[in-house]
Amino acid sequence: MWKEKYKIGVELIDGQHKELFRRVLDFIKTVQAEGPWESKLSEVKETMGFMKEYVIIHFSDEEVYQREIGYPDYGKHRQIHAKFKNEVQKYAERFQQEAYNEETVQEFGGKLMAWLINHVAGEDQKIGDYQNRGGSI
Amino acid sequence: MKSQYINSFYKAVMDVFKLMLDIKLEKGELRVVNDMVTGNDANVTIGITGDLSGSVLFGFPKDMNLEMVRIMSGVEMKKLDSFISSALGEMVNIISGNAVTNLSRENYKCDIVPPQIIMGQNKSISMATDKALVLPMETEIGGFEINISLKETRI
Repeated sequence: MWKEKYKIGVELIDGQHKELFRRVLDFIKTVQAEGPWESKLSEVKETMGFMKEYVIIHFSDEEVYQREIGYPDYGKHRQIHAKFKNEVQKYAERFQQEAYNEETVQEFGGKLMAWLINHVAGEDQKIGDYQNRGGSI
Repeated sequence: MKSQYINSFYKAVMDVFKLMLDIKLEKGELRVVNDMVTGNDANVTIGITGDLSGSVLFGFPKDMNLEMVRIMSGVEMKKLDSFISSALGEMVNIISGNAVTNLSRENYKCDIVPPQIIMGQNKSISMATDKALVLPMETEIGGFEINISLKETRI
């Protein structure tokens, strides 16, 4: 799932992105594998726990970095993060209510993958571009 | 329907396919239809509100949809399940968000209503319908269609 073109050229952030992609890929492989849903539940729950925490840590680290370099689109980027954190939280609540219903977990997986690729390949690249230009717009 | 509406969507779909799939698009010939009907296996509709009002329908054949998700994930996909349809829905959501940004540069302020996914062909979408423009697209992994039915609400 990870592609070299997703790098933004900042070690900490690229490392976290790689870890996120790796975990999302594991998640996709698990939920898409043959076999009864019940046998996948413990891994699904573990991944969801990880995602909820790691997304917050990563977004926060990325926002700190943006402030450090005086990234001009920081406010907009932070809003995008907040909106997505909210969506992850809503899914986490639905999973609790629906006892990790397979359809809902699959739906979350598809959305998470597409959102992450677009965000890292698009919006996040602008942070690297800004830094590479020596911090000018 | 004005060309700005079509071009805003066309540019958005080109940009997102390039960014997320590394795939180029070729425009086919525009045509007009009287009804918005799902013509493909996997369909996503988006509502548009604001200075323009109406809906846009994206229809993808099954194999193309599976291949799109394979390119994104690197994992071979076999069936159209909620994982696949949700990834497609999010992608259309992203395309439509970009289209609305493009429209704002043409001075149309619009919002999108979250996507609805409809699996299967020949399901009618539009309400008390106006005509829709069909924008066919060709790619190396298959062809798909965008139906656009929008009208200006500004007086």
